[in-house]
Amino acid sequence: MSEHALPRRAPRPKPLAHPNGWWGMALFLGSEAVLFGALLATYYYLRFKAVHWPPLGTPEPKVVLPLVLTAILVTTSVPMQLALRAAQEGRLAATRLLLAVALAVQATYFGLQIHLFLGDLAKFSPGDHAYESIYFTLVGAHHTHVAVGLLLDVWLLLRLSTGLTRYRLTGLWATTFFWHFVNGLAVLVVLTQVSPAL
Amino acid sequence: MATTEVLGLRARERIGRLDRIWEERPGLVGWLTTVDHKRIGILYFFTTLAFFGAGGVEALLMRTQLARPDDHVLGPSRYDQLMTMHGVTMIFLFVIPMTIGAFGNYLVPLMLGARDMAFPRLNALSYWLFLGSGCLIYASVFLNMAPDAGWFDYVPLALKRYDTGLNIDFYALGLIFNGISSTVAAINFVVTIFKLRAPGMSLNRMPLFVFAILAVSLSLIFALPALTVDCVFLELQRRLGFHFFDVGHGGSALLWQHLFWFFGHPEVYIIVLPAFGIATSIIPTFAKHRMIAFPLVAMAELLVAFIGFGVWAHHMFATGIPTATLVFFAAASMMVVIPSTIQIYAWTVTVMMGKPEFKAPLLFIGGFITFFVIGGLSGIMFAAIPFDQATTDTYFVVAHFHFIIFGAAVFPILGGMYYWFPKVSGRLYHEPVAKASFWLTFLGTALTFFPMHIVGLLGMPRRVYTYQSGLGWDAYNLSETIGAFILTAGLLLIFGNLVWSRFRGPPAGPDPFYGGTLEWATTSPPPHYNFAVIPTVTSPYPNWDRDDRAEDARKLEAGELVLEEGHETPASTVRDGYLDEVLEMPSESWWPLTLGVFVTLLFVMLLLAHFVVAGIFGALCVLALGGWHAQEPAEA
Amino acid sequence: MRRSELLQWFGLLGGAAAWTCQHGALLFLSSARCNPAGARWAFGMTGWQIGVTVAAAAVALAAEWAAVVTALRTRELEYDGPPPLGRIHFFALAASAGNVLFLGAIVLNGIGAGWWSSCGSS
Repeated sequence: MSEHALPRRAPRPKPLAHPNGWWGMALFLGSEAVLFGALLATYYYLRFKAVHWPPLGTPEPKVVLPLVLTAILVTTSVPMQLALRAAQEGRLAATRLLLAVALAVQATYFGLQIHLFLGDLAKFSPGDHAYESIYFTLVGAHHTHVAVGLLLDVWLLLRLSTGLTRYRLTGLWATTFFWHFVNGLAVLVVLTQVSPAL
Repeated sequence: MATTEVLGLRARERIGRLDRIWEERPGLVGWLTTVDHKRIGILYFFTTLAFFGAGGVEALLMRTQLARPDDHVLGPSRYDQLMTMHGVTMIFLFVIPMTIGAFGNYLVPLMLGARDMAFPRLNALSYWLFLGSGCLIYASVFLNMAPDAGWFDYVPLALKRYDTGLNIDFYALGLIFNGISSTVAAINFVVTIFKLRAPGMSLNRMPLFVFAILAVSLSLIFALPALTVDCVFLELQRRLGFHFFDVGHGGSALLWQHLFWFFGHPEVYIIVLPAFGIATSIIPTFAKHRMIAFPLVAMAELLVAFIGFGVWAHHMFATGIPTATLVFFAAASMMVVIPSTIQIYAWTVTVMMGKPEFKAPLLFIGGFITFFVIGGLSGIMFAAIPFDQATTDTYFVVAHFHFIIFGAAVFPILGGMYYWFPKVSGRLYHEPVAKASFWLTFLGTALTFFPMHIVGLLGMPRRVYTYQSGLGWDAYNLSETIGAFILTAGLLLIFGNLVWSRFRGPPAGPDPFYGGTLEWATTSPPPHYNFAVIPTVTSPYPNWDRDDRAEDARKLEAGELVLEEGHETPASTVRDGYLDEVLEMPSESWWPLTLGVFVTLLFVMLLLAHFVVAGIFGALCVLALGGWHAQEPAEA
Repeated sequence: MRRSELLQWFGLLGGAAAWTCQHGALLFLSSARCNPAGARWAFGMTGWQIGVTVAAAAVALAAEWAAVVTALRTRELEYDGPPPLGRIHFFALAASAGNVLFLGAIVLNGIGAGWWSSCGSS
């Protein structure tokens, strides 16, 4: 695990291609896209087969609050992208500030969503019917991805506290990509989640 | 390349520096912390061979039970476990890890002219995750709780109500676990293929084996999540009382099948595509001719994987789904055969146009083409819905997929073992015994699997542990069992030859067969850093471009693209392979093994339903990932 | 040059995208029609099926045209010629064959959609 002691080299020109880490994240997101595709397809498959959806006795989903929260989450793509731009230009302080802003909003979103999730669980349970099962699985999977994104943000802030390197820039690039994906997916998930009440 | 020529003093100095930079720790510690793609390939090779043996024993036990009617060598419950484990082992623990983990890992960086994979530590992690998942699944065998609902584990049989023990939980969690290993390996391959090609190797100059691995890797990335979701649903239903698959609570038993086969059909192309890649490597070498219609063959490899994502419900033609929906799957299933046909024509015409030398590897490819044509023909018959409905769940299906899986996937693996044995071990195998081992294996395969077509058409169902006498099936079953033992003898002869040759074979030199791809342009076995100088590439058969190889020798002496300042490899642009930057690669690390252990323990705790402890191991995984990424390459 | 690049990628990916969309759409439509929930939707099934098939066939044909034109424009190069034109030629050749396959798949899907109108199983 020892770091090699290497002679200092001249600064390298900016490469043309995206870094390996970006490509790795892109492919991982491709896999997650299919994962969510399978969850969404399951939702609609079970819905096509049902006469009542939600089943009789289950309350319809709330519409306004989930949509508003999702809109707030989607806006965090802006500070994330700006943070990436700042990092690519070498402006570390701006990077850290924008990342912290994004993290604060994302964490607030997450906290509120968990509160709503637990509230839903108190009212209807996955053990009742396929509707509840796929509802909680789909929404829970989305929240899990948000949680992972929060961890990535925290990790980046920790690493960036000691400076900006090419490696950490790639990490930020990949994380920003991750958040754009999660935010886009959040729209699909929330529209599906509230669709019976629309 | 400078391996056979006399090296100048400066060249020797550079090689000495590279040796020092890239050497790994000796002994067991070296193997546990390795990130060298060749060592990881060797780890995969021997582990998958062990699982192949286990799957083979399971097969022989089943064939022994089925040799005679009304036999009771094995009872039905034990037979169900063997049958399920045979399928799970051969598919998830043998064929895929062998083709991409062993062959892919060892060969892809070499064929690309790179020094390692894009993510060397991730590569090691994929191995440890594979080993962990295999051990978890096989623990079930030793606890007499092996999965027993078939390799595709249909519900409702697999639900808690009918399968109360942990058997199916081993299956579901084991496959989710195994899927993580394959997914990270696949991501690694795609990034390596896109970014780490030697400068000059634009996409149109990649070897066909690499195209095959690219197609396989993309398929794995896009197919596995469906299986993961399916298994997660199953566990949520079994463990926490969710309702996905039971109709009484709004679920659907067919949901399992749709998700499973959305994965399962691409899976069968994932199984066979690397074999195509191996065939397209062996044929030009022994036919001494470039592959005919190279662009079409490359595209066919990607096309068959792509169209293969649209045919999944042809595994469900007998489930009662409306024909108005099934017809699209029938249409796509008819089209998916065409790219494979293009490849078969290209392979045979290349051999005919060349001056073929029928050494053992080419013989195995001949066997492969024979079995693939037969298996492909029976496969295309299933595209016709009425025929499929008549033969579903009979031995006709078993015949088809064993001709493809054994005949078309394993034969190239066996041929590839002979072909690349000199490169990996530095010694030549014994040719006459190799040829004999081919004929024995070929005969055994034909005798084992061909009668299954007939007995299937005579009505023998699959997955039965015994059958009555007097139905006309007896003689066929007996010959299949005899065939299985002949096949086993052939395989043992192959392995015996390789083991003997490993210790007593004559030295092979770098290029005993005059191969066209870059692995033959370096020593046998290659040094840790693969190439002393990053090769000059101007065609898909770089080792046949002797002036480029002479240019390499000049570059080595002059120090161009030797990259001896650290653990370095070049990165190129994705489409056209222009040199883009020099990357500093990680060297040995304990993190992959550590994370592998934590993930294994996480899955064990999930299996035992100790969710809090599982959460603790999950947190440890996160911390391990933090430690892993805290190690950064040296900054310019 | 830029034009050849764009045509090459459209040629390579257009037919595949067209078939994928048509295949998915036809599956979705027939599942909707033949299931309890979807049966309540009132829409011109045949119209959608024809529309989706014609649109997909048109895109696949356009992709084939793009591939052939690009292959002809780069025909003095070998498939393993130097990039970028060599690479463009390679993909244009491959796409010229691939789009024929996708066109066939699209047409076959369309025939299947037209033939089976009831929701019974065989």
